[in-house]
Amino acid sequence: MSMAPDYPPDSGQWVCGVCRRPLEQIKMQIFYLNSAFDVSLPSCPQCGLTMTPKSLAEGKMLEVEALLEDK
Amino acid sequence: MTFDQARLHEIEARCTQESPPGCQGVCPFQLDVRAFLAAMTEGRLVPARRILDRALPLPGIMAAVCDHPCEGVCPRKGLGGSVAVNKLEQACLAATSPTRIPPQPRKKFSLAVMGAGLAGLVAAADLARKGYSITLFHNGEPASLLCSRFPVLADSGALRADMEALVALEVAFAEARLDAPLISRCVQTFDALLLDADAASEPAPPPDDVDAATLLWHDTVCCAGWPSLNAAGRVIPEASRQAGEGRRAAQTLERIVGKVSLTAERDKKPGVLHVPLEGVSPVPRLEAEAEGYTPDEAAREAGRCIQCQCLICVKECVFLQKHKGYPRTYARQAYNNASIVQGFHTANTLINGCALCGQCERLCPERFSMADLCRSAREDMVERNYMPPSAHEFALEDMESACGPECALVLNDIGLDKGGKPSWLFFPGCQLTASRGEQTLELYEHLRSNLSGGVALTLSCCGIPAQWAGRRADFDRHAAELLRQWENFGRPTLIAACASCLKALRSALPEAGLVSAWEILTTLSLPPGRRHYDAFALSIHDPCAARFDAAWLKSVRALVRACGATPEEPRLTGETTPCCGYGGLVFCAAPDVAAEMSAARAADLPHTALASCIMCRDRLANQDKACLHLLDLLFPRPSMSDTQAAAARGPSFSTRRAGRAALRRRVLREYLGRQTLERPAERLTVPPQTLTRLEERHILLEDVESVVAQAERGGRYFENLQNGRRLASSRPRHVTFWVEYSRDGETVMVHDAWMHRMIVPGAGDAGTTPGGRHETGQTPRENMP
Repeated sequence: MSMAPDYPPDSGQWVCGVCRRPLEQIKMQIFYLNSAFDVSLPSCPQCGLTMTPKSLAEGKMLEVEALLEDK
Repeated sequence: MTFDQARLHEIEARCTQESPPGCQGVCPFQLDVRAFLAAMTEGRLVPARRILDRALPLPGIMAAVCDHPCEGVCPRKGLGGSVAVNKLEQACLAATSPTRIPPQPRKKFSLAVMGAGLAGLVAAADLARKGYSITLFHNGEPASLLCSRFPVLADSGALRADMEALVALEVAFAEARLDAPLISRCVQTFDALLLDADAASEPAPPPDDVDAATLLWHDTVCCAGWPSLNAAGRVIPEASRQAGEGRRAAQTLERIVGKVSLTAERDKKPGVLHVPLEGVSPVPRLEAEAEGYTPDEAAREAGRCIQCQCLICVKECVFLQKHKGYPRTYARQAYNNASIVQGFHTANTLINGCALCGQCERLCPERFSMADLCRSAREDMVERNYMPPSAHEFALEDMESACGPECALVLNDIGLDKGGKPSWLFFPGCQLTASRGEQTLELYEHLRSNLSGGVALTLSCCGIPAQWAGRRADFDRHAAELLRQWENFGRPTLIAACASCLKALRSALPEAGLVSAWEILTTLSLPPGRRHYDAFALSIHDPCAARFDAAWLKSVRALVRACGATPEEPRLTGETTPCCGYGGLVFCAAPDVAAEMSAARAADLPHTALASCIMCRDRLANQDKACLHLLDLLFPRPSMSDTQAAAARGPSFSTRRAGRAALRRRVLREYLGRQTLERPAERLTVPPQTLTRLEERHILLEDVESVVAQAERGGRYFENLQNGRRLASSRPRHVTFWVEYSRDGETVMVHDAWMHRMIVPGAGDAGTTPGGRHETGQTPRENMP
């Protein structure tokens, strides 16, 4: 099983508060309990500020966290 | 690991749910009577027949002659009469054809049976079914002895069918004189021999000459099936005993030829299945209209079987029901969870879902303790570093906050000289202070005014959350600090207002004099502002931590009466009280189970409830159960009627923390004249439904505040150009919090908040926060499973 790696914002037209640049889907690694996963998340292309959409945090991410905690 | 296999077996043995019911236990063939009767009740005659045919060596003969000891131990005996197991067996056999049991592969051993009594025939059938070559020596007609002992068998179809079955199993019948020379010949010719003491009475030894457990007489010879004699010397057949001896001897013959121990792992006595009979109404035994039950009569009579089970603890515990098993299976799951090397710890949720309240142990006739099991499993998980970080972190952080500089306080009685030693130390506990600061202070003042020698005050946590979370070292560290404070005060008597605190303090300060606030109050003049009811019925809900604290239980009732109210005892009360869902940190690790526990308890209390523990009060009220705390009777809040006080929901996690800090500030101000500044906070507006969601996700308002403050300071947020909302994150510890908000001048409107434990680089100013076992070390790359 692999997760669909691209998680855009749930809704809205978001810009970075500092750089005022629109967010782009940027590939990165996220980590938990000695595991790393490749995903694409909305980020500011200039400063790297990254967003975790709510649907990801309360969906797949929560599921994977629980799974890893029982590993 | 906290327990090895031997310890597991010891723990498991305390739960008798898997023990056979009495009827099966006394049956010489361990017939699963319960399953047989269940099948008969449902009219499933073929499966019922299969159960008989698999267990009974000679089903037709046994059903006709058995003296059915099963019926003697049936719990229905005093409730309408034992279930007519024997007649039901006969009905089943009459209505069905024999089950085809596939023969086992032939074995190389030849065994002899001397004598066609009941024991001999049973042994021959048992051994022939298992593939042994059997020669059965008999005197006269093979069935003649049986017919003379049990006249009911003469010309019966059952006898014929079972004898034919023996022939089909290739039992060789040989007519012979059953004497001592035949024994000698058999010993030489066969691998082992069974002597039927009824058929071959002349050469058979008296029962005392054979080994009672194995029925071994000498060498390879067993003897079984002695008839009983009455005072006049007449033979009295005892079918079940004689047949049972036949089976036991057959098992010994197998062990002889298999050259294995004759005794090892044999005759293990499982615990007695406890069968609660409360609520079982008497139903008279159904007698057949004609000879033998019709299928309909049989179903009705079999339906009187109560399907003996224990489940005494499971019936009363939401948590035990939730996991679909019973303590014995849970012990094994906890053991497997601890033994696993690779793969998933599938019992973590089970282990962290127990309230550790001790109700099961109190109810269990064998005193099985899920609390001991789960607590030691949690300690093992912590020690070996596989406790899920999310299970208890929120509660432990709450404990840390309650013991930290914003909430904790140690205050000597201000009436004593500097350095004076108080006789008493009031320890209200971190949840009472969180929920009822004002009433806590009123109680403190009442104690100060009525007790001599000075009353000091400690605002802190007793440390029990650490104990519940399996963090023994943290508990011990906290206990050492409490001990130090107590020693500094000159070892005063401790007064606690929380049952869990009392338990924790007993363990932390074993030398301290400890008493509950309620017990002390019964010895003092009562608070003048207390309620004066006229026979107001209150359903008492005792805290689980006080179940064995007789003084607590008694004082609470005395105080309720002193206010003119009538304490009513619910079905489960005192020693058997259930947990409200707060105990054992279930509220944190398994909030859904905790909520079900509160709801179940609320439903069991007919009147307005009266709790003496504030978490019980608040959790019951959160289930919309009208519930008062004892302090509402003794120190009623002037702003609230009883109805309002009983209906008021408990404060949120955030309000609790704020309540503790506020109480500390007030104590400092009122007793020491010290002004302390309140932590500056963002002015947040949070709609009620968002507040509820924050509560469910364990997101505190102070977390929300710090996310917003941090974002606004550095401009590190996202902005939604469509509606101007901002989205920011912060990772103060092991969790990243996200807040979606909008600003209107100085006011911040919180629209939503969420959290995750994963580290996302570039989010929550983190991705790099070290700490905790899991945020450091190797991070092999994976796909999200």
